[in-house]
Parts: sequence; C-alpha cells; structure tokens
Amino acid sequence: MFDRFIEVNSTFPKTAHVLEHKRQGGLVFGWLCTYVPEEIMHAAGALPVRITGHNQETELEDGSAYLYVNNCSFSRSCLQMGLRGGYDFLDGVVGSSTCDGARRLFDLWRNYIETPFHHVLTIPRKSTPEAHALYYQQVVQFKERLEEFLGIQITDEKLHQSIDVYNESRTLLKNLYELRKLDNPPISGAETMEVLNASFRMPKELFNEYLKDLLRDLPSSGHTHNGLARLMVTGSVLTNPEFIKSIENQGALVVADDLCTSTRYWSDPVELNEDTTPLQAISRRYLDNFPCARMFPSDKRFNRILSLVQDFKVDGVISQIIRYCVAYAHDLPLLTERLRANGIPMLALDVEYGTSGSGQIQTRVQAFLEMLGARKR
Amino acid sequence: MIHTGEKKDKIDAIIRACGVMLRMNKVRPDARESENIYYQMLSNYFTRLQDAKDEGRFVAAHTVFFPTEILYAMDIVPMHTETTTWMISLFTGECADLLSAGTDLGLASEICTPHRGLAGAFASGALPRPNVMLWSNLICDNTAKSGELLMEINRCPGFFIDHPFQHSEDEMKYLVGELNSMIGFLEEQSGHKMNWDRLAEIVARMDRQIELFREICELRKAVPSPFHTQGFLELLTIDYLFPGQPEATDYLETLRQELADMVKNGEGAVSDERFRLMSFFIPPMHLIGFLERISQEYGAVSVTEPFFTYWGEGRLDPNRPLESVAEKSYMIPETRMYGPLDDRALKSIVDCAEQYRVDGAIYYADVGCRHTCATIKLFKDILNEIDVPVLTLDCDVVDPTITSEEEVREKLERFFELLEDR
Repeated sequence: MFDRFIEVNSTFPKTAHVLEHKRQGGLVFGWLCTYVPEEIMHAAGALPVRITGHNQETELEDGSAYLYVNNCSFSRSCLQMGLRGGYDFLDGVVGSSTCDGARRLFDLWRNYIETPFHHVLTIPRKSTPEAHALYYQQVVQFKERLEEFLGIQITDEKLHQSIDVYNESRTLLKNLYELRKLDNPPISGAETMEVLNASFRMPKELFNEYLKDLLRDLPSSGHTHNGLARLMVTGSVLTNPEFIKSIENQGALVVADDLCTSTRYWSDPVELNEDTTPLQAISRRYLDNFPCARMFPSDKRFNRILSLVQDFKVDGVISQIIRYCVAYAHDLPLLTERLRANGIPMLALDVEYGTSGSGQIQTRVQAFLEMLGARKR
Repeated sequence: MIHTGEKKDKIDAIIRACGVMLRMNKVRPDARESENIYYQMLSNYFTRLQDAKDEGRFVAAHTVFFPTEILYAMDIVPMHTETTTWMISLFTGECADLLSAGTDLGLASEICTPHRGLAGAFASGALPRPNVMLWSNLICDNTAKSGELLMEINRCPGFFIDHPFQHSEDEMKYLVGELNSMIGFLEEQSGHKMNWDRLAEIVARMDRQIELFREICELRKAVPSPFHTQGFLELLTIDYLFPGQPEATDYLETLRQELADMVKNGEGAVSDERFRLMSFFIPPMHLIGFLERISQEYGAVSVTEPFFTYWGEGRLDPNRPLESVAEKSYMIPETRMYGPLDDRALKSIVDCAEQYRVDGAIYYADVGCRHTCATIKLFKDILNEIDVPVLTLDCDVVDPTITSEEEVREKLERFFELLEDR
C-alpha cells in the first residue's frame, strides 16, 4: 500500500515525477519553509517541491564549509544537496525569514547556486491584523514577481483551482490522521512519514489520487498497529522515517506530531468566503496555520500541542530538536513545563537532521518507554 | 522551577569597575577625555539602574538593538540585558555561574552564551527584576525567542516587537505600528504617558549622533588611523545604552575632536601602523586587553567594522519621531546583517575595504552565533576577490573557556606574517 509513496521518496530529489514534469517543459520551484504559499507557484503552472536535505545522516563537508558548523544540519544538508547539483532542475527557489537557518540558507543559495529565480518573503512573527496585512502584501509581491518572471497572469480562477487541489490534500491527510486516533491504527508513524514526504515531491493532484487509494484500502487491509505507549513527536524539521521506525521498533506507536513536515504542514485549510479574494484567503491561512516555534506568543503552539495530546490519547511526548535549532530550543523549558502541568512526560533529544535514531537515542527512548510503562501499571 | 529568588543583584560590580577605571585614568598621562566621559556615563547608567527600585522607578529590561529612545522619552529606566549581564560577568568573573544557571533552566548548550547566560543572570538574581520585559527579533532567533522565558523567570509582563525582515514601505508601516502598540503597553504598565516633545528632542540628538558616528568613521580613514583597535566597542556601547542622550553627544564630540587632532598631527592609534584591519563582529571579551597589546606590538589597527561602525544612509526627522525611531533600526550597522544579504549588503563590505584601505580582515567567529558565522565563507570570498585575506578566529564572545590567549596569539602572529609577506 505504501510502495508508491516509498518509491517517490527513494528517488528524491530527482523523482520520476519531477523529471517527467521537466521533460514536458514544466517549471519546478523549490520552497524552503511552510510559510511559503505553495498555491501561488501551483497556480503559476509550476510544480512546487519542498527543499529538504539528505534523508540520512551524511557527512556535510560542503554544507559546513559554506554555512559553518553552528548552523543547523538541516540547512547545511539542504545547501550541500544544492551545491552538489541535487536541485539543478529547479527554476526557482523561494525562501522566507522564518529563522536564522532558513534565511542564511537562502542567502547562500542565492550567492552560490545558479537557480534562475530567487525570492524571499518577510514572515511576521505575530498574527495580529497588522501582521496579516503585511504578510498579505508579501504574498501579493511574490505573485507579482512570479508573474513578471514567467510572463503570465496568475488569475483568481487559477488560484481557486490550486486552493481546491491543496485543500483536498489537506482534507485527505486529515482523514489519514483520524485513523491514527484509533486504539489500533492501521498506519504507523513511520508509514505516515513516508506518505507525507511523498507529498512534497510530486504533483499534488497525483498525490491526492494515491492518498485516496490508500484511504480506501487501509481500513480493510487488516493492517493494525499497537504499542506499549502512544507517543507524539515534536520539534525541528524531520523527514527520516527511520527515526520514527526506531522508536516504534522498541514497542511504542507514534500517533501524533507537531512537525513542519507533518501536522503543521497540512493542518489548516485555506478558507474561502464571499468577502475574501483567493489571495487574501491563502495569506490568512499561511500566517494563522498551526504555528512554528518562531511565532509569538508560543502558547498558541503549546495549546495546539496540548489539544493533539488529548485528541490522539498521547501518553508521552518526544521532543527532537536539531542542534542549533534555536527557536525550538528556547521553547523547550516552557513546553516541558506546560506538558508537566498536564501530566504528560517528555523526553528531550538533541539530534542531527537525518538521524535514524540509533545508538544513544535508542537507549534513551527505551528508558522513556519503561518509565511510561511503569506509570501505566 | 524557573522563578528567581529575591537576591541582591550584582550591578554594583560594574559601578565599582567604572570607578576604578576613572581613578586609573587620572594618573594615566595618555588617558583620553572621551574615555573619562565614557566611564562616567556607564557609572551613571548603572547607578540609576541600581537605585531605581529604592526610588520607586519603573524599570524596563530590553534586549539588544532595542529602540531605547522610547524608554527615555517616557522616563522609564532602561536595562540593556546583554550589556548588563556581560559587564557583570566580566567584572565578577562569574561567567561559568551565569551559563550554568541558564543551563539549569533547560536551555540547550547550542543557545548562544550571551542569551543562555542572560537567562541565568535573571534566574540567579545577578540582574535586578524588571517591571516589564521588552524584546524584538533584532537580530537573531535568540533575541526573538528569549523574551517569553525571561517573562516567566521574572514573573513580569512583556512586549515583543516584531521587526520586519525587509525594508519596504509596508514593513516600515508595520514597524511603526508595533512601536505604537508597545508605547500603549508601556503607558498602561508604567502609568507614564509618552512625552512626544521629549521623543522629538531625543530623535534630533540621535540624528546629530549618527552624523558624529559617521564623522568619526571618516577620521579613521586617515593613515595612520587614530582610533585604537577595540575602540569600536565604546561606540557600540554608546548607542546601546545612550541613544539620543545629551551625554552621548558630549562623548562623541569629544572623541571626534581628539581623533581630529591626532589626524592633524599625523598621530596613529599605534606607534608604527603596519597593518590596517577590518573586523567582523565582537572579539572575546576576556581578550580585549590582550588584543590591544598585540595591536600595539604588531602595528595592527582595526580601522573599520562594517557591521558595527558603518552606519547606513539617511537622516532622522524630529517632526516624525516614531517613524525616525523605526527608520533608525534599519540604519544601525549591525542590522544590515538582519535583512537579506543581497548585492547591496555585500557591496558595503567591499566599499569599506576599499575606502579604509584595509590590508586584511579578522572574522571573530563566535561559536554560538549562527547568523553571523553562516557568512564567513561569503565574506571571505568577496574580500578575496579584491585581494584582502581574512583570518577566522573561532571564539566565544563571553565564555573564556573556548579560546585561549596563546591560541589567538599564534593565529594572529601567523596572519601578520602573511600580511607582511604580501
């Protein structure tokens, strides 16, 4: 059932879908962060793909030489892949002021990698009416720059179509996550991550078809998972399903997450109504979406995490923070406190991007699961 | 778990150190008058902070690159948290204790020492408890993310200024709105009304001070260059703590005159100027004295610091005081590191190198500072294009355990040899 998704990921970054799209003369744009509105690129006729790094722990010689070792390994991994030609099919790169790692990754990409189009968006850290007005202007400018670069008009009709495609994807992913609320879900955390990774690397329309098939087949598949404890994974960007698998191999089941590659990617739809233009609706959604740790106030994110803990009947939370991912590191003492006040234990892991969760991490997860087991008894 | 106890703060250590410097300067024949003004200003700043509680004054703690002009206009006592913490650390030698207190809060070791130690300073009571906590996202994620924990530690309300990334009209409007909202917050919390006339006066003085900063920079173009290697730290502190204050004008005018006299007399900061250097970012605090000595020893003087002393273009308008405060935040040399590093930003480095006729550059690579270190290669590459070699010195601005004097000496000596050979 998951083979089609795994196949896409196994050929990343030059997936068959990307290559086919290029072969047919299509444009491919890379985006660096979930605050970049994909619908705009989609409505321009381009294939938006998410720029991520190597899915496994890798020596990051080039990444470290250009970005220095004290930048997060996600940024370094992405840059290294770009420097070594992994993304040479891109027609454009779109970044944002999300965090120090993201903005410097964009700066160096623009200076050292010959991608024809570059654009960076200012992303406010608040979601006040004034912040929405500013972000809306940023989205308008992004659309205008794309139109100028491509020599096209991105019409409201096109935007409506793109919103429909992306909203359908969000609804389908929501349905997939509903299955994870079950006592014995038909999908594991690692399998979920394979599905999500594929969503960044292929045309959304096709991904939606794949996902519909999966949702049709899963309930009757006889596939079920259970574990000693139901866990949630929170923290920095994570794309390696092996990390989740290493946790689940120890008897736990990852049922929920607060990751920009998972729940925070798909959680909130673009809401259209009679009073808003599609561009306004898109801009509202992206700034109001399940927040990243960069946003202020942090309690908005913490409250959503606490809701997920409740909805998915989570026994414990694993925080995995990539070294030098400062936004999440600063939130850690506060989040620990909020979870503790709600009786939810947390295991905090310092990781590098791409880690498979072996060695010391396994030992710590094992001890955490034993502690959760003792609490249940 | 993260609340501070009521302990006596350590502000007194800074005041005593300033007193020592002032007394020493009285017997130093080469002491600058501007230096005396500087130490007296510091002493007054920290005495005011120390006395604030007893006098029932309202104290606002704030992070770096904060529009302190607004606090002065509202008669609120400012506490520059990074400067205060690291002066305490420097003068008490308690760096390890502050960092350890920060780690005890659950802050990871990758969080830069200035901000980890700052949280530790509040938690351990080394810093006095403020009435409010103010912070912004200038200039990195650490500043952006530090405030909420500090509010919890101090059990005080706070306000976060969301500084936009780029410099468009929309973004200026947003920033002015943020400043207005903060003023509303401060009025509510302190009971002090914003004095707009006073803010206009402060902005007028700030405009004059920026002109003086620029004039001082111009004088440093002279060969030999008149300002000592670590002098730029004084200039930084002046803007950090005293923006738009009369005493800052006094300091800057005095310094400018001193430097002008030196230039007129052909005197340099070092007796035999051999190497003109560009400096990137802040050297390790515990090595400041050593860096001055080696500067004299080798005739190597820092003549320009593109991200500390090279102010952006523009003027402030007292008739539009809040807009001017917002505009100033884009003119501060350091904040050029905040927006996109586009061709214009990079060109300013090349311009600096050429205008100041630099022979080489030293990049103080603070191991905890991600957004600066990510530019090492970029800056090196553009400077190498104009034949300016760059030495990268790994260090930590406050933690003395990262770099030793011997290590830095060895690297600097090798670098000076290289420059000599060229």
